[in-house]
Amino acid sequence: MIDFEIGDELELVRATAREFADDHLRPTLRQHESTRALSDATRAAFRDIGFATLEWPESLGGSGLGGLARFIVLEELAAADPGATLALDPLGPALYALVECGGEAALERFGTPLADGETARSVLVWCGEGCRAKLEFGDDAVSGAIPWLPADAAAQLVLLDADGAHVVSEGFTLEPARGAGLRAAGAASVTLDRAPIAASYPGGEAAARAAARGRLYTAAMLVGIARESADYSRAYALDRVTFGKPIAHHQALAFLIADMATATDSARLAGWDAAWRLDSGHGAEEACATAFIEAAEQAMYVTPNGVQILGGHGFMQDHPVEKMMREARALSLLFGGVDAARNTAISELIESDGPVQLTWEAPDAGRTG
Amino acid sequence: MRVELDEATRRRVEGIRMLGRAQVRPLGLEADRLGRPIPPDHEFFELLLKIGQGRTRWSGEQDPAAEPAARDESDRPELKATIGTSRALLAVAEELSYWDRGVAVSLPGPGLGEPPIIGMGTPDQKERFLRPFIDPGKPRWGSFAMTEPGAGSDVAAIRTVCRKDGDHWVLNGAKSFAANASRADWILVWATIDRNLGREGHRAFVIEQGTPGLGDFHVEKKMGLKAYESTSFTMRDCRVPADSLLGSDEHYARKAGFKGAMKSFNSTRPLVAAMAVGMGRAAFDEALAFAKEQDLLGDVRVRDRLERIRRRLRVARLLCWRAAWLADHSRPNIVEASMSKAVAPAVALEAASLGMELLGEVGARGEHLIEKLFRDVKAMDIVEGTGQIQRIVMARQLVQLPR
Ligand SMILES: Cc1cc2nc3c(=O)[nH]c(=O)nc-3n(C[C@H](O)[C@H](O)[C@H](O)COP(=O)(O)OP(=O)(O)OC[C@H]3O[C@@H](n4cnc5c(N)ncnc54)[C@H](O)[C@@H]3O)c2cc1C
Repeated sequence: MIDFEIGDELELVRATAREFADDHLRPTLRQHESTRALSDATRAAFRDIGFATLEWPESLGGSGLGGLARFIVLEELAAADPGATLALDPLGPALYALVECGGEAALERFGTPLADGETARSVLVWCGEGCRAKLEFGDDAVSGAIPWLPADAAAQLVLLDADGAHVVSEGFTLEPARGAGLRAAGAASVTLDRAPIAASYPGGEAAARAAARGRLYTAAMLVGIARESADYSRAYALDRVTFGKPIAHHQALAFLIADMATATDSARLAGWDAAWRLDSGHGAEEACATAFIEAAEQAMYVTPNGVQILGGHGFMQDHPVEKMMREARALSLLFGGVDAARNTAISELIESDGPVQLTWEAPDAGRTG
Repeated sequence: MRVELDEATRRRVEGIRMLGRAQVRPLGLEADRLGRPIPPDHEFFELLLKIGQGRTRWSGEQDPAAEPAARDESDRPELKATIGTSRALLAVAEELSYWDRGVAVSLPGPGLGEPPIIGMGTPDQKERFLRPFIDPGKPRWGSFAMTEPGAGSDVAAIRTVCRKDGDHWVLNGAKSFAANASRADWILVWATIDRNLGREGHRAFVIEQGTPGLGDFHVEKKMGLKAYESTSFTMRDCRVPADSLLGSDEHYARKAGFKGAMKSFNSTRPLVAAMAVGMGRAAFDEALAFAKEQDLLGDVRVRDRLERIRRRLRVARLLCWRAAWLADHSRPNIVEASMSKAVAPAVALEAASLGMELLGEVGARGEHLIEKLFRDVKAMDIVEGTGQIQRIVMARQLVQLPR
């Protein structure tokens, strides 16, 4: 039966993530942004908790947890500092390209050396629909340009498109850029000059699964950002008085605050639905794409309104809401952005003859005919 | 975490689907065409009784411990375990509304008056008003009348007055839009002992049909949902026996009266939201089928909008289910219930409206199911608390919005 209980284990994971975020990320978020770096202590704490290898198979030293666990951790971390969240995760969504397309062997080969978080990260580059990277693949090398990656350095690039994944470990240079958001993770444009392909893992279905999980990863972060912006601005609205009452009690803002809470919950539920599908072995490409679009739309509804509720103060960098707005915008450009996700989300519907799959439907559900 | 119906609920939903396709939708379309509610003596209602519908949820047990409270028995294999849960009710309501929400409300049964009677009623009142619904020999209805010409959202402003006169109460006032009121065995009417007291003055009465002074029944003409009657009526020196006052005097002394009414809204809001999801799903299925037939899916604009509607319907359903799941575990769900109710009707309207756009002039002819759904669905953002009221309810919790 329908059940939204996440269970004791995931409650503990959530509490741990929240504590880590409060201790290590929130107090220094502006510092992370301006220095584009995290302290060694923060990195060590992250590694010791085991967040980096949460979804890794136990055979490779991971915790073997699923998409829902990752979603919950990412929401907590990104609520505090999305850029730092990316910076801390040695593989990030590149994990999915490696395991889905190349299996455990690929993860062992390319992921294991980075697991301690001491070196630069493995960075996923989306080369499929909607990407703005211009890459030319030769037989054993790739050349071209990537306009933006949220990184200042990369141990390797994992190039993912609809047909599979390729790994390159050298032959590319990163040129630092200012970055619209997520600066704690860095920002660079990348040039590849006949970069040798270290490994190729063809496979359309695997690539689609990898993209789906990557989209869910991004969606989880967007939910965290939206939640933080909604919570922060709500607290502010109770404090700030205009025309004789807290601004939260002017109905225009009271309704807006209610709608922002609804927006955040909507995005989270869409994400949990997708994560459940993923973890329970149902096809989840459509659900993950849908969760990503929902999260992107709701975050782009919530975060500018978060600024609005603070008025001029929201525009100033003394408060985090302007950062939330920028980071939501930057983050939702990944994986070809919402338009590419829309195509994935709808394609199944166009091909199928059956009724609309909302969540779970009976096999013979259907319309009048 | 699980987003799946259990076997028992799934079977019930499938049963509704068969009934829906064969009976409910055709009846709804017919009522819409004729512009009048399904008559109470329609054979469809008899059929429903035969298949076990039109009954009360009250078990007939006076011992509250024996009430089949909502349970979550997902770990237990017994099929009946989840039948009474809010989630199961939601799934059934959604499916029924998929086929026709107007017909769904027309179904015999105690209706919205049932929760207050179960919750507040004395043993004797349950006997009198609900016992006949345990195994009804003929279709029977109950009705719920809160709204008045001058008081809808502002429930505290109702002006129907009640005055104690010996061992009777005398009621005077007018009620609006009460579902199934003219055919009901009884109507649960909210009145006030003193208009200046606001909510504390509220009293609920169960007034039996035929009581002198109860009359002027007027079945409203509506934009949609024509299959059931929304009826306005008056009470003029309407004398009812003292024990028609729902609950006991001490019940109201504890100021539980208004709370009693509002508490039942907390459980019905996700239900109404789920009905909207069902209607939105129906519109979406029809719109998609039309788009396929007419080769419209090559158009990115069309595709994007279909994607949006499907996504928003899914989110609306998840919001409903979460509110119901909380209710099943006796956890607070005021905010969550209102969220579902604030979201689902708007999404469903958007689905029907998009459907109309895809139909184009075909929709403008006024003969397509989507066109009917477009009219039907608007009510969902009005009944059981308008969208604005849902936001007020949420804001009271989220930012302590003063009354
Ligand atoms: C099809 C249908 C069936 C119904 N069935 C029943 C029934 O069975 N029993 C029954 O008792 N009633 C029934 N109703 C009545 C329904 O509950 C009321 O119509 C509803 O509560 C709204 O009240 P109102 O019509 O008086 O609108 P009003 O309360 O006058 O509201 C008008 C507008 O003002 C807005 N508004 C009101 N107060 C505020 C505020 N404080 N802040 C911001 N905006 C506000 C509302 O949202 C609405 O948009 C039914 C209605 C319909 C349409």
